[in-house]
Amino acid sequence: MNNKIYIVIILFFSLGFLACDDELNDLQPFTEGSPQTFFNTPETFQIGVDGVYRQLWLYYSNPDSGLQGIPDIISDNVIQAQTGRNSNDDYHDLRYVASTLGAIPLYYSEAYEAINGANLIIGQIDNIDGESQQDNILGQALAARAWAHFDLARIYGPIPTQSSDANSALGVTYIKVEDGDSGDPYAQPARETIASNYLEIIDDLERAALLIDKDNIEGRLNKNGVYALLSRVYLYNGEYQKSIDAANKVTAGLATASELPDVYTDVTNAGVIIELSINTSSEARGNSVGVLYSQSSRGITTSEYVLDFDFFNSIDANDARKDVLQFVGTNKGNDYNAIKKFLGEPGQVNGKVDVKVLRAAEVLLNKAEAQFELGQEGAALTTLNLLRQERYSSFVAGTETGTALEDAIQFERRVELACEGHRFFDIKRRGESIERNPTRGDLIDGTGTTPVAPILAAGDFRFQFPIPTAEINANPTVAGQQNPGY
Amino acid sequence: MKVHYYKFLMLFFFTCSMSFAQENSISGTVSDDKGLPLPGVNVLIENTNRGTQTDFDGVYTISASRGAVISFSYVGFETKKIVVGDNTAVNVKLIASSSELEEVVVTAYGVSKRSNITSAISTVGSQDLQDFVPSTSIDNILQGQAAGVQVTASNGRPGNTAFVQIRGVGSLNASTTPLYVIDGVPIPITDNTANNNFNPLAGLNPNDIESMSVLKDAASASKYGSRGANGVILITTKKGKRGDAKIRFISSYGFGERIPDSFDLMNASQKLEIERQYAGLGIGAATKLPGAVSTPEELQTLIGLDTNWEEELLRTSVIQSNSLSISGADERLSYFLSLGYDKNTGVIDRIDGFERITARLNTSYQAKDWLGIDANVSYARSATDLPRDRNNVQNPFRALYSYNPYEPLFSRDAQGNVLLDTKGNPVFNPTSTSFPIARALLTEQESSRNLLVIGNVAANITLSDKFSNRFAIGLVSNRFNRTSRSLQGGVLDGFVGDKNFPGTQTENYALDFEYNVSNLFSYNDTFNDVHNLSASFLLEYNENIRTDLFADARGFPSAEIPYLDVSAEATNAGSDEDRRILFSQALFLDYDYDGKYIASASIRRDGSTKFGPENKYGTFASGSLAWNIAKESFMDDSFFSDLKLRASYGTSGNQNIPDFQFVELLGFNSTYNGRTTGSSLNAPNPLIQWESQAILDIGVEFAFFNNRLSGVVDYFKKNSKDLLLNRPISYTAGDEDNAIFQNIGEVENRGVEISLNADVIRTEDFRLSLGGNITLLDTEVKKLINGQDIVRGTFGNIILREGQEINSFYLVEYAGVNPDNGAPQYVDLDGNITETYSDSFQKIQEGKSPIADVEGGFYTSVKYKGFGLRGDFVYRSGNYILNRQRAAGEAIGNIDSNLYTSAFNYWKQPGDTGVLPSPRFQDTADQAATTRFLEKGDFIRLRTLTFDYNMPRKFLDAIKLESLRLFVTGQNIWTLTDYQGDPEIGIGSAESGEQGDPGFVPGEFSLFSYPQTRSYTFGIEVGF
Repeated sequence: MNNKIYIVIILFFSLGFLACDDELNDLQPFTEGSPQTFFNTPETFQIGVDGVYRQLWLYYSNPDSGLQGIPDIISDNVIQAQTGRNSNDDYHDLRYVASTLGAIPLYYSEAYEAINGANLIIGQIDNIDGESQQDNILGQALAARAWAHFDLARIYGPIPTQSSDANSALGVTYIKVEDGDSGDPYAQPARETIASNYLEIIDDLERAALLIDKDNIEGRLNKNGVYALLSRVYLYNGEYQKSIDAANKVTAGLATASELPDVYTDVTNAGVIIELSINTSSEARGNSVGVLYSQSSRGITTSEYVLDFDFFNSIDANDARKDVLQFVGTNKGNDYNAIKKFLGEPGQVNGKVDVKVLRAAEVLLNKAEAQFELGQEGAALTTLNLLRQERYSSFVAGTETGTALEDAIQFERRVELACEGHRFFDIKRRGESIERNPTRGDLIDGTGTTPVAPILAAGDFRFQFPIPTAEINANPTVAGQQNPGY
Repeated sequence: MKVHYYKFLMLFFFTCSMSFAQENSISGTVSDDKGLPLPGVNVLIENTNRGTQTDFDGVYTISASRGAVISFSYVGFETKKIVVGDNTAVNVKLIASSSELEEVVVTAYGVSKRSNITSAISTVGSQDLQDFVPSTSIDNILQGQAAGVQVTASNGRPGNTAFVQIRGVGSLNASTTPLYVIDGVPIPITDNTANNNFNPLAGLNPNDIESMSVLKDAASASKYGSRGANGVILITTKKGKRGDAKIRFISSYGFGERIPDSFDLMNASQKLEIERQYAGLGIGAATKLPGAVSTPEELQTLIGLDTNWEEELLRTSVIQSNSLSISGADERLSYFLSLGYDKNTGVIDRIDGFERITARLNTSYQAKDWLGIDANVSYARSATDLPRDRNNVQNPFRALYSYNPYEPLFSRDAQGNVLLDTKGNPVFNPTSTSFPIARALLTEQESSRNLLVIGNVAANITLSDKFSNRFAIGLVSNRFNRTSRSLQGGVLDGFVGDKNFPGTQTENYALDFEYNVSNLFSYNDTFNDVHNLSASFLLEYNENIRTDLFADARGFPSAEIPYLDVSAEATNAGSDEDRRILFSQALFLDYDYDGKYIASASIRRDGSTKFGPENKYGTFASGSLAWNIAKESFMDDSFFSDLKLRASYGTSGNQNIPDFQFVELLGFNSTYNGRTTGSSLNAPNPLIQWESQAILDIGVEFAFFNNRLSGVVDYFKKNSKDLLLNRPISYTAGDEDNAIFQNIGEVENRGVEISLNADVIRTEDFRLSLGGNITLLDTEVKKLINGQDIVRGTFGNIILREGQEINSFYLVEYAGVNPDNGAPQYVDLDGNITETYSDSFQKIQEGKSPIADVEGGFYTSVKYKGFGLRGDFVYRSGNYILNRQRAAGEAIGNIDSNLYTSAFNYWKQPGDTGVLPSPRFQDTADQAATTRFLEKGDFIRLRTLTFDYNMPRKFLDAIKLESLRLFVTGQNIWTLTDYQGDPEIGIGSAESGEQGDPGFVPGEFSLFSYPQTRSYTFGIEVGF
């Protein structure tokens, strides 16, 4: 045989192999884009902004730990139903520590992911310099960045009005691409003070308010949303006149008493100013926010948390919100004051509904409270009556003054916003204590199992969530900055 | 080529059925020079394709005509040829051969005589494999068989693979899986992603395997360059042997069950009693439980319902295995054809387990004198049901511990009668958990099916007596299909389904395809009869392509039709593709002087798409030396039959990380309110580069007394540098998994491996052999970025710290119960004992990690006449396991669930010691991440015990069979351990942490994963 032929063949194969560098270098990701090149049109930027909304939605709607429910579960609006799965009992029973899973690591992680997404947009907004949508996109991203930081600051740090030393206490790290805070994955930044956090939150929101469009489609922020958020942030920051001014810029009207039930089945968005939305078809496997409170099947409602007996019974029979809030849930022969707001779209019990983050009613209540704090009792009463007249079927304008008026504002706030993720923060920012009635149980008649931890006294360290253990472990700078008590 | 197969096949069957001419039956015994019978001697009639093997007694029978030449050949003996004369009884004595007294070992890119090997290689032969066949995955079979090879079953799910670690933890990355090479084809195993994991090992029929070689040191693993860092396991499948077609049929049938716990769960009356006690102590959650509120009559009713949930949810599994093979060869062509069927129903009642059909055809054809062609193809279809493996009652293994024993499987009415639904079927009890797991197993279905094809074609070209070339193409193709269903009216559909669209179903479809093209050009020469030199140049191109597709739909007309065609609407769909390419060039050099002094060297350069432009290429090299002392003339009269010293040093690499970690990626695969979203998927690390390992190995191999006692001792030191790890980073970076793949430092694994084998007694009728291996392992973290600790583990309970053992536990230290008040006590960071608990008290538990210090296996085999008894043990010592399962079983907060009976032993009055904390201290007592639940993982386990009977020739002749073997095998039937639960733990809880999840460390904790099972199998093996 002729060896040479084969040697030639082999050399041929070998040479073929040697030209493989291109194959190695040219391989590109198949379904992913590059955050450095993708954002170059208003449409692509909006895809990025929608990604930020989704990150926010992830921690608001999480069926185990959603921010739509945990603040109520920790405080006094609801009580754990003993026939549930004992979910979140470490939170309800005020036992949480830095290593507790669920809400503590979830918010910290997802909020910063939202912030990272917003910074990607903000940092590259010049790519669409001069385009008509530039301002609207930048406005949404700035507002979303402020929103996520605001959630972090109020969860992991004190709220400025909570105590006199709150502003000098540690808040969270504010990540701004303009300041060079983002982009280094190995950074181990320190926590900043609450005062500095609120400055930056307000700065971002004020900028956003000037940039964002008046109207955006459902599920996205708009001008009303930014001003509504500002009215809340200013209230938290004790800047009452600014809270009133921001509230006055909100043009959205209240949901009427007759519209209210349909708000919670997503039939109408009346009075909803900020929401995180779900498309129950394409996101059929998405989060069921209602699972935080209950799951229903075959006429049985397995409630995790049900309405506090005293709270529910303090609601007037003429109050349209009573029926919006409660239904009789039956499980294992027990009746409960089960929570109705998150059952699902009409006819459903799957717990899949839009997350109502901020409604017009809250804006009115922010304004009323701010007016009261400024001593404008008459104005505060007028503002409060605007809400009450849309809620009580036989409405007689209230005439409270002084403490009675203050209590009335807080009572309406508690009822109006019940189970929507406000109660813990409202108690916290006012420096009050969480007080559950230690003699009332979980059942519909107030019997049953009483709360394990009925009291969280004002000033208790648990008003601030611990920085999650994983962050402590990965970031030595923060390891020395854990919240007191943990 | 395909057409030719059919011709070959037809040819085989012709040759098999032909030729029963006027021939005599020749029979006799083959023995060694000491008169001991030799089993398995190849008996061939020259110039025909007929042949046989001697049986266990050394007896053979073959038909041959007068004048034919019969050759008798056996590894380690001189081949003897005998011309058939008038005598039909031919007894043969074989003489041990000095030159061939050694087996041939499959090595990297070739085969080699054992004496010429300069590196640490452990082999497992088919004879050893035979006793382990009931295991359905080959990696599980390796357990305890080779020194330095640590095998831990992932969990007990049938068809699941194992964690295999060679010489310690070479990589901190979740993947420490070695490279598997089957007949020269590298097998792609993807276990470093959360979703796309792929492991084809479960698709191999263990009966097809001829041998496994484990390459442990740099001298051999380095030849596989970038993929050799975790060691290499070479699997060689069976080939036809010269002679008549051999037909072998093996069938076995057996039963399995969960290995019982060493502790007890409460029964109904105990559970009710502890509820009463807790309520008496004022534990809120207990005050409304039946034990606290029931009347004496109600209590009696509840006690009467006493339910053992294990019996309700689990069953005895059925394990079946059938395998048929036909093999043979003539001068030019050899073939091995096999079919296999395996089934293991698993121990979970109401769902199916694992089922596999395999087929294989191995052929080699000497087409020309200078051209040999090997073509192997194997096919496997497997299907498995996938139960939930998570830490709640959706997992049946959690449920059987959690469900209260007074809550029966079916709901009862007020009169105590079982409730019936409208169709008359009993209604499953939702129990106090509201989740009827038994019903969920029926309505929440998940199963996967794999269709795996592995093929390779190689052309061996002899260019001259010095030059040769091997060109090979290998293919691995797997079609994966998973179906997840929530049936309409089922448990989850009721809770989260859409009323207008009952029932949901998801179909996943993925095609994993990898091809490997390689060319090995070799030169062999001998100078002056004593200088043997060989050199090879390798080029290899490897590309892996995965495409996948999924569709989600809802609204089904009937639970009976599991196809998306009938769904009301599709809710989601997707497709994706991944590719990775590896391109390699290598040079191997081997030299020996008369077989006494041996030197080898290799260098390999790999290019990979896993790394950025600056770091695409890695270069790996090795060198090794060996001295065959036994071959020196001064050793001629010694009692050593073998004595070899060897040393090797070299590097290899690891690139087993997800693709495209060096660039930032924007993902679009989620929608928000029905619209496309873009979100950053990862923090990029453009500097990421190859992980490399340098291994030093010094070994001695010895055999005494005519190989009756043999052994290997190896010292190794493995330094892994630039370790790739998905390192946790600050959450403030906003990364999707809060971690970044980075080269984080250096670790060292060092140790000693010893393996010994002894033929203690070897007489004609009776043999006793013993053997075993032990690995002593020390690990140490040498260097980390900035000297900064890295905390990892599924729940953050593992730490890497310079100077400490790899993966040391990071826990709060428990200081027992305060005898005065029953409060649990912990040690704070200043070393003071306190009744408070804080996560900040976490500290390293020095010397305590999930890694065993001592590990190995040993066996005893006794054969008397046709009877054999073999027991294989595995053992492990020095590792620790966080018993989270016990933490759940003793948790005060779990008073609404069933508890361990040990929960009764709580503090009751001042002075009580050795007790659990008082239930009044739930907040501080229910902390699992403390040393209270850290237990030693030491165990010795009788992995398999096999009793078999080989029928002697004289009976076989009467029933016209070549061989007949009957066997009974017990697996995991005895375990010695102090661990409270089963100590053999790989995955603690799959949905909390498994391969590919950040921080996952195998064997860290137990938490209700699919448990290990023990089984009893009966079987028969027939050859004809």
